[in-house]
Amino acid sequence: MLNQGRIDLLERMPPLKRVLKARAFQPAMMLLTLAVFTLAILAGLAGTPAGNRNFGIVFVWIVWWALLIAVLVPFFGRLWCTVCPIPAPGEWLQRRAIVQRRPGRLWTRGLRWPRRLKNIWLQNLGFLGVALFSTIILTRPNVSAWVLLSFLLAGVVLSALYRNRVFCRYVCPVGGFIGLYSMLAPVELRVADPDVCAAHKTKDCLTGNEFGYGCPWMTYPGSLQRNAACGLCFECLKTCPKNNIVLNLRAPGGDLLVADERRLDEAYKAFIMLGCALLYSAVLLGPWGWLKAWANMHTLPHWGLYALGFVVLNLAILPGTFGAAVWLARRIARQPQPLRRLIVDYAYALIPLGLAAWIAFTFGFVLVNGSYALAALSDPFGWGWDLFGTASTPWTPLGESVLPFLQVGVLTAGLLFALHTTYKIARQNSAQHRAAFLATLPISGFAVLITLGFLRLYLG
Amino acid sequence: MKQRELLALFALGVILLGLPLAVLGYQYWLRPALSPNRIIDIAARVPEQAGFAPDAIRVAVGETVTLRFASMDVTHGVAIGPGLGVDLGPIDPGQVKEVTLRFDRPGIYTYYCTTWCSPDHWRMRGTIQVSDPANPDVVPAAQPDPVIDALIAEGIDIDAAHTPSAEHAEISILAFHPSAQRGEAVIAGGLDVPAELRDPVWRQSHTPAEALELLTGQNPAASERDRLDAIAYLWAQDTADEALATGKRLYNQNCAACHGQSGGGDGPAAATTAEEPVAFSDPGYMFERRSDVLYAKIRRGGMGTGMPNFGTLFTPEETWALVRYLWTLTFGTPPRTHTG
Repeated sequence: MLNQGRIDLLERMPPLKRVLKARAFQPAMMLLTLAVFTLAILAGLAGTPAGNRNFGIVFVWIVWWALLIAVLVPFFGRLWCTVCPIPAPGEWLQRRAIVQRRPGRLWTRGLRWPRRLKNIWLQNLGFLGVALFSTIILTRPNVSAWVLLSFLLAGVVLSALYRNRVFCRYVCPVGGFIGLYSMLAPVELRVADPDVCAAHKTKDCLTGNEFGYGCPWMTYPGSLQRNAACGLCFECLKTCPKNNIVLNLRAPGGDLLVADERRLDEAYKAFIMLGCALLYSAVLLGPWGWLKAWANMHTLPHWGLYALGFVVLNLAILPGTFGAAVWLARRIARQPQPLRRLIVDYAYALIPLGLAAWIAFTFGFVLVNGSYALAALSDPFGWGWDLFGTASTPWTPLGESVLPFLQVGVLTAGLLFALHTTYKIARQNSAQHRAAFLATLPISGFAVLITLGFLRLYLG
Repeated sequence: MKQRELLALFALGVILLGLPLAVLGYQYWLRPALSPNRIIDIAARVPEQAGFAPDAIRVAVGETVTLRFASMDVTHGVAIGPGLGVDLGPIDPGQVKEVTLRFDRPGIYTYYCTTWCSPDHWRMRGTIQVSDPANPDVVPAAQPDPVIDALIAEGIDIDAAHTPSAEHAEISILAFHPSAQRGEAVIAGGLDVPAELRDPVWRQSHTPAEALELLTGQNPAASERDRLDAIAYLWAQDTADEALATGKRLYNQNCAACHGQSGGGDGPAAATTAEEPVAFSDPGYMFERRSDVLYAKIRRGGMGTGMPNFGTLFTPEETWALVRYLWTLTFGTPPRTHTG
């Protein structure tokens, strides 16, 4: 029943299973991305300060970002976490090995991660912090390089203090939203039969064995219902002696309906992501020069106002307005559940809309600025090189005529997905169709207003 | 397994140690060592964000340097003066343009933005101090300007207010605009032009209003329009084609933002200046101006008006070309150009 309507890719594609089970697969990918990551940091520190000609800016914040938000996350969930270089040095230090399964304890102080931080609040705050300075981070290569370097160092330090990938699970600002949006992905790692896991005494997926390490994400595959906390490292695939791990192709978004795992920190992540997409669109694509100047820290008092507005919008105005919509929904549908719980429940309906908004926003600047990648590829440091003969490629905005259609299409799809999810969540809280339908109306109104706001920003 | 581990460890070493060493080694050691001359990277930002960085460079006489200008924010333009003839043209955001220079004598040169990039655009300047290797700490003294010195000796107040004198106030409300083109025909038709007015040196140190008095005394029967057109022709004729082109280029790059492309005092930056920029297309104003005072004002700047100095940017010849271009904004260009 658990995997009904799903296709196990590992069963259908044995070569894929062989690749994912190979110990060298993940380190090889990580070494590759680590090389690019190191190059991005070096370009930021030693290359041209002009962001649009610097590999560190162009390949991280245009190429990687577009790949992540428009391809990897919506179609493959946490696949980026499989190859992400940031935790690699720390993890390899912990294991004192890169490829092989080295026996013995992990090389770490083994401190206990505080219970009250076992959530994504730190990731929420981290993302807000990065977002607040994003106009600086995204345009100034040296600032960007220091931020990337600090992520790398944080990964190493936390690995030295705590077991496993504490950084990825509880700290990484990027990992937080990848986890949230991975719940929409049409792929999932699960177990074929939870009863097999329940009956299995040694729980090799948690403790590790000669074929692999215990889950670095501290997740028990036997109880996995959602993608959010699975980093797709495939250690469990290597260690499971029961051959019970499956990689399913499924209908997208099923995780949003797992009612018993909904949490306030994730609900807030949905608000923050939606709010940031709205603000980014207003600052970077909107017609308000003064707002851009404020965000760019032209003067500290103005930036202070911008920062205050940014935080208040994300943490109070957006959740507050949404809370009012849920209050209305609860009242007209006469739902007996506590308001706070309903706010958390319905916030999951904003996840598809949030991802669609980010994809639409990303189309907006990637199609316009993507041509910089060719020049940066040939001259990554802006030193006048021409490695592949593309250094002089002029800035060529692409897809101007199709961009509005893409953005409208993606936002509409996101809105419809959100409305559909709202109704399904409402049905979880109301046995009757009529009550669920009534509850859907105010929340749908909220989602429609937000979508209209995005359309206003994108279409003018 | 062991072999793969070693290979991975080697790859990790190359990435975390080899790559940084290679990049930083190239940037700070190999690149300077391979270059036949010193390379100086100069980042250009709007003046509100610090302008040029660095904004001061020291070079030794005889040293060849390559200056690489990179625009960090908006489109800038870079020229270097005075007298070097370096104009790199517009530099778009992220674009890098370079010029290699060798200085033969001590002096101070200025690199400056030639595109109106922000309200404080005119502040966007940097200096190149070329010093004698034998006396590297001696700052080359600025050359005296005989035109400005003569004005000071004459007691002329370069910063005098712009109000026209009562005597010639009516000129500012002329019903017609004096035309150099028509003036040429008027003179060819027999208007008696006093010898002083035909002397370019005299015209340089006198106003059109003073010339009008002389012309009126000599031609009392001529119409006011004929006399004014003749004056317009005399003041606008001093422009050879090449100088006119130079003056126009310098004006468009450096003056038009405030004074307007047609000299109407209505450039996009006009609202930001301490005083309203003067309108060179206004004959009422220009009839009261002397060329040498205009020259001095351009080179030295206008005290308290927001008018920057350009003496560190232009040669005297370029400044005269600019002054002559200003007269064409007032009176238009004659059909044929004459000198003398």
